[in-house]
Amino acid sequence: MKLSAVRPITVLVTRELGIAALLLLGVSFVVFVILYLSPGNPFATLVTRIETAADPGAAAAAPATWYGQYFTWLKNLFKGNLGNSIRTGLPVLQEVVRVGINTLYLTIGSLLVTLLIAVPIAVFSARRGMTPTSWSMTVFTYVVSALPVFWLGYIVIYISIHRFGLFPLAFGSSAGPWNWFYFLLPVLVLGISNGTISEVVRYLREEMKRVFAEEYIVTARAKGASVWKHSFKEGFLIPITEIIAAKIPFILGGAVVVEQVFNWPGMGRMAWQAAQDRDYPLIMGITLVAAIIVRMGSLMQRVVHIIVNPRASKE
Amino acid sequence: MTDGPVLKIENLYTYFYTRSRQAFIRSVDGVHLEIEKGQTLGIVGESGSGKSVTALSVMGLVTAEPGVISGKVGLKTANVQKNLLQDLSEYVKTATITGRIMDVYKDNRRWQKNVDRVMRGIRGREISMIFQNPKLSMNPFTSVGRQIQESILLNTAVRSAAEARDRALYWLEKVRIDSPRLRYDNNPYGLSGGMCQRAMIAMALSSEPSLLIADEPTTGLDATIQSKIVELLQEIKTTVGVTTMLISHDIDVIRALSDQVAVMYGGTILEHGPADAILSGAMAQSHPYTAALMASIPNREQIRTKAYLQAIKGEVLDTINLPEGCRFYPRCEQVTDRIQEHCRLREPGLLSISNGHRIRCWRYQQ
Repeated sequence: MKLSAVRPITVLVTRELGIAALLLLGVSFVVFVILYLSPGNPFATLVTRIETAADPGAAAAAPATWYGQYFTWLKNLFKGNLGNSIRTGLPVLQEVVRVGINTLYLTIGSLLVTLLIAVPIAVFSARRGMTPTSWSMTVFTYVVSALPVFWLGYIVIYISIHRFGLFPLAFGSSAGPWNWFYFLLPVLVLGISNGTISEVVRYLREEMKRVFAEEYIVTARAKGASVWKHSFKEGFLIPITEIIAAKIPFILGGAVVVEQVFNWPGMGRMAWQAAQDRDYPLIMGITLVAAIIVRMGSLMQRVVHIIVNPRASKE
Repeated sequence: MTDGPVLKIENLYTYFYTRSRQAFIRSVDGVHLEIEKGQTLGIVGESGSGKSVTALSVMGLVTAEPGVISGKVGLKTANVQKNLLQDLSEYVKTATITGRIMDVYKDNRRWQKNVDRVMRGIRGREISMIFQNPKLSMNPFTSVGRQIQESILLNTAVRSAAEARDRALYWLEKVRIDSPRLRYDNNPYGLSGGMCQRAMIAMALSSEPSLLIADEPTTGLDATIQSKIVELLQEIKTTVGVTTMLISHDIDVIRALSDQVAVMYGGTILEHGPADAILSGAMAQSHPYTAALMASIPNREQIRTKAYLQAIKGEVLDTINLPEGCRFYPRCEQVTDRIQEHCRLREPGLLSISNGHRIRCWRYQQ
């Protein structure tokens, strides 16, 4: 990395963090309003337990208006307190961090699976053009991307667990010889069928083809240099970070389904559960963390952009 | 020292498919060229006459299909002596009807592989190239200095990066870039067009090639920068003395730099000979096309009186549907009754009219 890129990166990161803070504020506000307006509340189901357990003093101190409640939540957030889950009574922050790591593992793992499948196909068809081989591979990626996550998940579970009994049904419940492999199943399923393989192939292929036709690549060839070396930054690095940043939300969405199907103790499953329970503090916490992950993706993309091309910082 | 021309192109044919893939654009249609050591050959012609494609064919950089389909490109330098289109016929089959190629079968992938194998150690090392648009032709993601350094490391005996850096600075100085040490770390977009072209020239020369191909080196630049670049090329011609193939549609640039001139039209050479003989504009001793081209350049008198520019009538030849006879016949104003039949029906050969001066015109043939 060039030294000249350090300053623009610091500037960018500071600015991005500021923007991210504003964005998170907006996200939390919108989600809070949606939750407030949505029908039902946690106490409708838990009313008896709350009545017996609740501290009458605390209940009296709670603000009555919706904006009052939001500002209380915000004030606690700045103290590092996201409240307690209504269902379990555990602190939301700890809970979300605990399951967030599982989701991060699932997300990053499946992203790698997607890239491992998509990148070679994209590179091959960019280099060779639309030969029958690359054409059939492209069609294959479209078919694969059209598979619904839950369907593939159940099929995989049926084959590997019910048919061949390779794994225990529940996550990490027993230590068999194949147990470690069980961690790979959801990752593979989400990586294959999150619907982004075909998009990665298409985007990367088109970008590479475009860059291969650039005049500076002709120059590189004319001086005997490697086409790959000269096209790497614009033809590979930039598009790949762009597509990763753009697809993280989709993969997080897919994770909700996969975690449900595979009993994976992640953020998606917890979000689903929390939504059913109307567990407001938990939903708010999960939304916040998901927004942070998405924002980190785009920050990474911007940083890569600046490192390869300092001109971008001058825009 | 080896004798004979550094580059000898014989019977080069480079075609492209039309959109429908039913016909060919005959970009280069039987070109013969020779460049003697230390000389500069200027190739002049209108847009679409096949000048640049000829250069790209020599370098094996034609990617559109079918591309180069036949010919011989003999390169003869101190280190290398080979036909750059060797084994071409192995990958290409052509069908000819009445002397004209009408159908081509080409295994482009294997052909390209073969070209890349043949051209290894030639591209950059023996033949360097300068392109038309310097800003687009240099990698925008790497500093110009590093690009020159890369060329030196790849193509010369220099092996250490530090030494290559010094060489790159030397060349940047040689092409008169001010404060080369500062410019070394600039990316191309940080330089002006003229500076960028200087850096490009430095990069092309830094590998100390036996042949330099300059493909419209001044076209993408402002008029004032153009003349500066021409001055630089003139200076390099005397100090470095590299054999050069200069492509331009600007006759003034050709006149300033060339020893030999070839006039291209519709994919063939119409006239090839010493620069002063061809660019003198003497009607009696030149091809009607060259004469018309020379007449279209306004002289001082015409500029002062604001006279109308004298354009060549008609359109640039469409090489998809070639005329049967001379390519220039439809626009030629010097057809006489004596040769009219010939001009219309048969293509003239390239005939030598004096020492080293050859013309493709029925006027000079019996």
